[in-house]
Amino acid sequence: MSLRNPDDMVALADSVLEAVGHEGAEVAVIGCEEALTRFAGNRIHQNVAESSQRLRLRVISDDRVGVAEIRGEIEDAPRRLAAAAEAARRLSPPGEVTPLPRPDAGADDPVAHSPATAACTPEWRAAQVERIVSVSMAAGFEAFGALETSLTHTVVVNGRGVRRHARSTSAGLVCVVRGAGGWGYADRHHFDTARLDVEGLAAEAVDTCGRNQGAEPIDPGVYAVVLSPYAVAELIAHLSDLGFSALARQERRSFMRPGERLMSPGVTVTDDASHPDAMPFPFDDEGVSTRGVSCIEDGVCRSFLHDSATALREGVPSTGHAVPMPNTFGPWARHLIVGAGDRSGESLVADCERGLYVTRFWYVRDVHPLRTVITGMTREGTFLIEKGRLVRPVGDLRFTQSIVDALSDVRGIGRERSIEIDEGGRAVLAPAMHLGHFAFSS
Amino acid sequence: MREIAEVALDVASGAGASYADCRVVQRGIQSLVVKDGAFAEISSLEDEGVGIRVIVDGAWGFAAVDRVDATSLTDAARLACRIARASARVRREPVRLASCAIAIGHYVTPLTLDPFEVSLEDKMALLIMADEAMGSVPGVTTHEASLEFVREHRYFASTEGSRIEQTIIESGGGMDATATSADDVQTRSYPNSFGRHQLCAGYEAIMAMDLAGNGERIASEAVALLSASVCPTGRMTVILDATQAALQVHESCGHPTELDRARGDEAAFAGTSFLTPDLVDTFRYGSEQVTITANALAPGGLGTFGWDDEGVPAQRTVLVDRGVFRGYMSSRETAADLGWSSTGAMRAESWNRIPIIRMTNVNLEPGGSSLEEMIATTEHGVYLETNRSWSIDDRRLNFQFGTQNGWEIKDGRLVRLVKNALYSGRTPEFWRSCDAVAGSAEWAMWGVVNCGKGQPEQLMHVGHGAAPCRFRDVVVGATPA
Repeated sequence: MSLRNPDDMVALADSVLEAVGHEGAEVAVIGCEEALTRFAGNRIHQNVAESSQRLRLRVISDDRVGVAEIRGEIEDAPRRLAAAAEAARRLSPPGEVTPLPRPDAGADDPVAHSPATAACTPEWRAAQVERIVSVSMAAGFEAFGALETSLTHTVVVNGRGVRRHARSTSAGLVCVVRGAGGWGYADRHHFDTARLDVEGLAAEAVDTCGRNQGAEPIDPGVYAVVLSPYAVAELIAHLSDLGFSALARQERRSFMRPGERLMSPGVTVTDDASHPDAMPFPFDDEGVSTRGVSCIEDGVCRSFLHDSATALREGVPSTGHAVPMPNTFGPWARHLIVGAGDRSGESLVADCERGLYVTRFWYVRDVHPLRTVITGMTREGTFLIEKGRLVRPVGDLRFTQSIVDALSDVRGIGRERSIEIDEGGRAVLAPAMHLGHFAFSS
Repeated sequence: MREIAEVALDVASGAGASYADCRVVQRGIQSLVVKDGAFAEISSLEDEGVGIRVIVDGAWGFAAVDRVDATSLTDAARLACRIARASARVRREPVRLASCAIAIGHYVTPLTLDPFEVSLEDKMALLIMADEAMGSVPGVTTHEASLEFVREHRYFASTEGSRIEQTIIESGGGMDATATSADDVQTRSYPNSFGRHQLCAGYEAIMAMDLAGNGERIASEAVALLSASVCPTGRMTVILDATQAALQVHESCGHPTELDRARGDEAAFAGTSFLTPDLVDTFRYGSEQVTITANALAPGGLGTFGWDDEGVPAQRTVLVDRGVFRGYMSSRETAADLGWSSTGAMRAESWNRIPIIRMTNVNLEPGGSSLEEMIATTEHGVYLETNRSWSIDDRRLNFQFGTQNGWEIKDGRLVRLVKNALYSGRTPEFWRSCDAVAGSAEWAMWGVVNCGKGQPEQLMHVGHGAAPCRFRDVVVGATPA
């Protein structure tokens, strides 16, 4: 199987525009080759590949909007898609409809793309798993995880002249390692498989697992914490969802108060789709160039993310953070960058008199969005810190904590950052952090 | 569909597969969303493709393609076999499948009114009425109502000889009203939170919801919550409404009784299970009041079908019998490992995903009490309605749930509305504290449409029959006002 020719995808998009016949049409064609090799108990147990294409049309005229989507190579797709979207548009009641964007001056790069990833084979994936399993078995452990690669071609065009296309790749490797009395975790993400540090990942997971044997429970309560980059990325992703969107502000559900310092100096979060380490991609689902937005600057709330609908309401330009429109979610951050500090990971621990080191959070959910209160569990490596040293593993704990409150007591930020990609495809580049307090409830 | 499947199976067999199955899936989805008086979405989705699963050299491979021409299918079947050979490089025991009768048949979701035969105008009129009813309440900031309809036609064929055709129809709807103040946001949802309530049923399920008739009520409740007291905290009696009971069953019984989790297949993502096979028939999971089944034959549930996605017939499996852990939802492979038969729980989100063990309809069987009786016989506690947040650890032991609405109970009466309620516990201790489950009159089938599991992740639609139920000595907390 192979991805459709990019020129054919552009031609397909144009044929849909032609089938609609007026300028109020937006077409997205997304072709994808994805493969994932999954392993458990030192064996590959699931191994899959998929070739697919999505064709989406939004039509706008007479203050009405309609949407239709076709997945798969369905006969006479342009005409059927145009008819379905037009039927929906005709029946929708007239109302406030955001016009389609006009072309901007943005280029179709930089894009996260690697020929090596695009050419990845099942045999290569199996060989990497074999390397991890070997390291795990040599330590007397069992390895579990998944290695995923993808190649995506995205085309967005509209009847007002927007024409965007980009070819991107992604690779992700997640691994947990099990010993008789505990687990370890590591992951790596990059758009280039050649830069996926497989041996480093295996060594890290095995090392954490080795230190995380025989964890004893510890009393819940409020502790200082040193959070690994994995855990910080999870916090920042939730923080973004709870308030960086202009729609959240317009609906009065955002915690952000522009100009106010809510967090410690040093806490800086931007969304930067051009950052080379954060899976760069140049435009959003409306074909608008994605601009860098400073959301938190040295602890002070700054700017919001816009799509064309939220931008129109405020009379400002879109920042290029749209998801497929129209929608009820609003703009979304896809390339979050957390500012680095000047501390080594070891010194963050060394400065903690007593606290907990958290490798990873799990099953994090919002409890009170306006107060940024979330709950979740620690997983695969939680350690007690005493007098600046990791002294023993402790059992997993539940936390219930306001993110803003936790980030208002930052004692140190790591200088090394790593990239996390969540299930929604969002990249977060984050350092480790030492926080003065964090509430664990059970 | 038949010809497509035969091509794929022939190619796979020729390429060395000792077993192969093929699923051809055509799916149509219609979605309508009204938000704050305007249509936020009217959309349709057509989706079609083929998934080919093979065993070669004792290992699995799978390839899926959305092109159904002979060349693409041949390429996909060969790729599936190549992938399986790669899997075999990192293999232990060869894959074995529990035996399964060859199935030839068809199944169609029973329904009264085909939702795709109802005009878009009628659907929009219903949503506008519901949205207007919510918007009529002063103090409501945003309000949203939605409908979704799914029609999925599946054809399954295997090299063992099974040939199965199924048409599944789903109808779903729901609405949310949100009220905000300077320092608070409160939402009420109906009939359930997180989007909608959905069933394997026709448009009659939407009409039975009476969305418009409940719009003003939930909007008023959202506004009232802004000035409500914060939920009392401490150890006390908790009564859950049926929707929250359904989610409690989903998270703390449904997932830990998936046999793939118990054997570690999901360890790197969804997690494992505290219910290990050595505990079957001996472990006290809950009280005598607690009987939980996985029932793919239950009318209306999102996990109701004729056969699962590896051709095993729909069935009812007892997971917990009067408090004792009895068994799992399983696949042919996981069941064979333990010398059992599959309980028919292999389901795939669509053509492009492999089937994995998923809940069907995991039901808390009706008890002998009633909500009225439970409240009347509670000295001090809270009655909690409609999920607001949920979290549970990777072994499914340590949970914390929050609800949108709460009522403090004193001396057998609901005395005041309370907000920001949380309750937490450990799964077996919690279910052992269950002392009452309401009867059939208050038991209903609920739908969960966002159950995530697997890599690549699959979002499955699953069902839960549940009724209000009561738990003693539960840790209740609250986020502060």
